[in-house]
Amino acid sequence: MNPEHITFDNVSRFYGEVLGINRVTLSIPPGITSLVGPNGSGKTTLLNLMTGLIRPTEGQVQVLGIEPRDPRKLFRVVGYSTQFDSFPRGATGRQFIYSFLRLFGYPSSKASSLTAEALDVVHLTDAADRKIAGYSKGMRQRVKLAQAIAHDPQVLVLDEPLNGLDPLVRAETLNLFRKFASQGRHVFVSTHILHEVDMISDQFILMSNGYVVAEGQIQDVRSEIREHPMQVTIRCKQPHALAAKVFEMDHVVEVRVHPDGSGVLVLTRAADQFYRRLNHLAMGDFGIESIAPADDTVKSVYEYLIGEESQR
Amino acid sequence: MIENTAKSELWGQLIAVIRIELSKTFFSRRSLWIYLLALLPATLFYVNSIYTRREHERLAKVAVDHPVPKALLRSMRRGLTVEQVVQTLGEPYRRNSREFWMGRPPQRHERLMYYYTDGETDFTFFFSDGILQGNGRSGPTQSLPQLLLVFASVYQLYFIRLAIFFGCAGIFTNLFRGEMLDKSLHFYLLTPVPRFILVAGKYVAGLSATAVIFSASTALQFYAMLRGFDSSTVHEYMQRDGWHHVAAYMGISMLACAAYGSIFLAAGLVAKNPAVIAALLLLWESVNAFIPGSLKLASVVFYLQSLCPIEAPPDVTIPPALLALVAPVERVGTFTGIAVMVTVSLVVLIVSGLMSRKLEINYSAD
Repeated sequence: MNPEHITFDNVSRFYGEVLGINRVTLSIPPGITSLVGPNGSGKTTLLNLMTGLIRPTEGQVQVLGIEPRDPRKLFRVVGYSTQFDSFPRGATGRQFIYSFLRLFGYPSSKASSLTAEALDVVHLTDAADRKIAGYSKGMRQRVKLAQAIAHDPQVLVLDEPLNGLDPLVRAETLNLFRKFASQGRHVFVSTHILHEVDMISDQFILMSNGYVVAEGQIQDVRSEIREHPMQVTIRCKQPHALAAKVFEMDHVVEVRVHPDGSGVLVLTRAADQFYRRLNHLAMGDFGIESIAPADDTVKSVYEYLIGEESQR
Repeated sequence: MIENTAKSELWGQLIAVIRIELSKTFFSRRSLWIYLLALLPATLFYVNSIYTRREHERLAKVAVDHPVPKALLRSMRRGLTVEQVVQTLGEPYRRNSREFWMGRPPQRHERLMYYYTDGETDFTFFFSDGILQGNGRSGPTQSLPQLLLVFASVYQLYFIRLAIFFGCAGIFTNLFRGEMLDKSLHFYLLTPVPRFILVAGKYVAGLSATAVIFSASTALQFYAMLRGFDSSTVHEYMQRDGWHHVAAYMGISMLACAAYGSIFLAAGLVAKNPAVIAALLLLWESVNAFIPGSLKLASVVFYLQSLCPIEAPPDVTIPPALLALVAPVERVGTFTGIAVMVTVSLVVLIVSGLMSRKLEINYSAD
């Protein structure tokens, strides 16, 4: 097992007779990893297994070579913001983070300074001395995030961290994730906001009914889905001429001219061959301005593999 | 060096857990009823002491105005007339009279009640048609030895079996189960605190809270009980047995918290509904008096009662048929009693520490 990866080796977890996850094998490198899937697909189970809040029925989990059953080592490197929207009674934001850090064994002064830093990162300094019970949903999300990052972990595990955040804070939070990942750390995000997953993820894991349906980089996964032709959008000045030319290719199954007449949408079963032929066409008189894949997004993959009806 | 660092880190974590838990147990609104439970007997003893003092003062004042020696009061015999009694004792400080009709044909009769006091006890003489029929004694007649017996009964039957029992149940079962229900236990499990340190820290915090509350209540009960007596009586008692009694009762309260606390902490750790375990334990502890001798040894209350410096008088409310079942068992010695309670607490705590390693966060199932 790679000591720099988060690894699941044939891991299953059952709740009595109910399946949590089944025979999951993963090796996740540093970077931002998004965990997507419908409700009840096993996302939270996977995160809880990774952080030792539950134990596997079978198999083995390791986080940077550490077994989750060893909290003394694990939580030196892992910070987890759970989906549970509950806090110790009567605690203020500052007390919550401070007492959490004291449990790490930090002396009072160090815990105080780390608390202040974490609250500053999530922009909660002004509200730090108010009781969490009076916080808005977004503020509670942020204080949980502050708790997860306060001890500067190598692995950040976040269960639906963007829920309840306003657009500005959401953008700042995504930037924070990017910053973490750029330092060679793991950011493991469970989310159902698929377009944001595309924006930030280095890799993703798609789960359904307790199984990992797909994992890896989005383009790689998309290219593996043969039954759905790849979609490519080409912006050009001569869409009709280009459509006729493209349609001559064997692997192209459909070509649609954009309603605004500024390009075409091509559906092909062999994207690599198509892009090679397109290089020749680009030198022709079609006035090609841009070429972009139209469906190598997590949302598309999600729809192809799981179906739109199951999407939240 | 590394070992020392690890040890000091564990100590730091233990202290951090204790601090967090102390603030929850001592100062939370949920603990309010436990304070009330603990203060109830102290309040009753206090009220009793106020009544006792007032009665003492009232009778002393009456005795100044109507001085009657105790020996004379006791020398009055049935059959004396009102006039003879008044001639010997003087005029009563209060009198009541009542008329009633009795017999065939109905005849008028008169019943008189004359009140005297020697300054300590109220004597009431009952006359029927002018002839002394008998007398009654009342007032703050509780002597200190009598009240110590009352204290022993209240302590063993109410304070240990109900106040400390339910107080510990309330505090210790909530240490884990309460946080499960609040869905906040996971915050502890997301830190590098080893589970056994978490169990130990929570136990120490719960024990500190209950030991302070209930041993302070024990001391307050003693204070409240004694304040009804004059200072010389109290001084003499404290010099003789008083301090030993206070220390013994406070120590027993702490031991009770330690033993019941460890059991309830374990119950909160393993049971979804620890109230069921508490109810079963209460039943077992309550029937302790009726179970065969060897089984008595398997109850906490037996050891605690063995340690009490004053044996509570037998419960006169137990029907004679049941009294036959009450198997008297030799009380264990002080050292044995303390050793058993400490050992039980430690064993249950160690088992809890081992069980906590299997603790999972699955709030939806709780």
